[in-house]
Amino acid sequence: MKARHVAALLVASAPLLLGACGTAVEKEAAPAATVVQTQNVKNVSEITAGPAFNDTDVMFLQMLIDNQKQGQQMARIAANRATRPEIAELAEAVQVTQADEIKMMTNWLTEWGKPATLDERTSLHADHGGLPATSAKEIAALRTMKKAQFETAFLNLFLAHQHNAVEFAQLELDKGGNEQAKAFAERVKQSRSDQVQQMLKLLAG
Amino acid sequence: MRRKIAYPLATTLGMVASTLAVASPALAHGYVSSPPSRQALCAAGTVANCGAIQFEPQSVEAPKGSRQCNGGNANFTVLNDESKNWPAATVGGSVTFNWVLTARHRTATWEYFVDGTAVAAFDDNNAIPAASVSHTVDLSRFSGRKTVLAVWNIGDTAAAFYNCVDVNIGGSGSTAPTTAPTTAAPTKAPTSSPTTAPTTAPTKAPTAAPTGTTAPANGTAWAPGVSYKIGDVVTYEGVSYKCRQAHKAIRSWEPGIWTLALWLPL
Repeated sequence: MKARHVAALLVASAPLLLGACGTAVEKEAAPAATVVQTQNVKNVSEITAGPAFNDTDVMFLQMLIDNQKQGQQMARIAANRATRPEIAELAEAVQVTQADEIKMMTNWLTEWGKPATLDERTSLHADHGGLPATSAKEIAALRTMKKAQFETAFLNLFLAHQHNAVEFAQLELDKGGNEQAKAFAERVKQSRSDQVQQMLKLLAG
Repeated sequence: MRRKIAYPLATTLGMVASTLAVASPALAHGYVSSPPSRQALCAAGTVANCGAIQFEPQSVEAPKGSRQCNGGNANFTVLNDESKNWPAATVGGSVTFNWVLTARHRTATWEYFVDGTAVAAFDDNNAIPAASVSHTVDLSRFSGRKTVLAVWNIGDTAAAFYNCVDVNIGGSGSTAPTTAPTTAAPTKAPTSSPTTAPTTAPTKAPTAAPTGTTAPANGTAWAPGVSYKIGDVVTYEGVSYKCRQAHKAIRSWEPGIWTLALWLPL
């Protein structure tokens, strides 16, 4: 009950925090509060989700695992091929943080007796004909394209990819049931939105 | 007034538009990332106080045929606000516009307008676009500050996505206020004037990286926006942590159980 209360406050205050961004984002932004009890946990894989969940929780985790597995491939390529150190560094940091997130989400689905893989890549837009942002073909193209084109292509592709993660997180925040998964969705929304900011600035730079 | 001509479609368009408005942001799809569109400047935090658009720059969706920066989408009127002094990117006579597509829809055309006049159109013949789309547009007949309206006309819905991109052509340094894209009524639905296929022209070479991040002093409190190197020590909620992966700190990457890949508790 207490956790639910805190989560509601967080959601309510998030637009204010974000609304204050602009150039002063570094000062204004606050980290996501950890809504759930994680005091004695020594490793991400020890964070458990708890028994109550609904279909949206399952779909959110399955879609995000798929998204992040593709993200791992893209980030690995960028860490090797980016010319600017800022881009390689962002890619490496995304890679290590999302690797832990994949482990944690997989454990939650196992805890719930659900598969960690999608039958097929789904899209929030499939109902009116849209394909998701990223396919294996685009990822493969990142490996072979000319270096002069690489950074712009990677940033545009990964921007779309992280925008998709924010869309999944918003779906979970709106319709998910598991408090732990919703707290995680809020973190995903924040981190990916801030990565979008960094990437747009790198594109302009 | 704007939609006078599209009469046969008017009812349908209205229905689609209201559906879209309700369902956002899940139906977000795409925007021009560089040179930055106004919504990209909002999402990057370069322009402040934009409202909801900063979280969903890909959502400027409205019925086809508008010549406004927001496409007539009432949620995003801030994009039409010339008083915000949108920064203009310095460009040459040939400009490559890069798109971020969060959902790849069958595409009728991509259109570019300056001062209400079409300057380029790319016909995709209802194909599904690649994940990265870029178009090179010749703007050499213009100079100084201009606002380019870039429109993605979806092939299988009545919708289009709208972007205003403020540019300073030729880098003349002119700061003359640009005329906003006209609100003149379009005479017909976007034409599919066949032109050259969308190019995947090489984009500009990487330039100097943005600097401006402050170097942290060891043992100071963790803060978003700071660039941390391996070995840097910070405190967060009374605990000291050592950085184990160089990164620029963002929200939700604070040291703790969720970010052991970045921070080692001491």
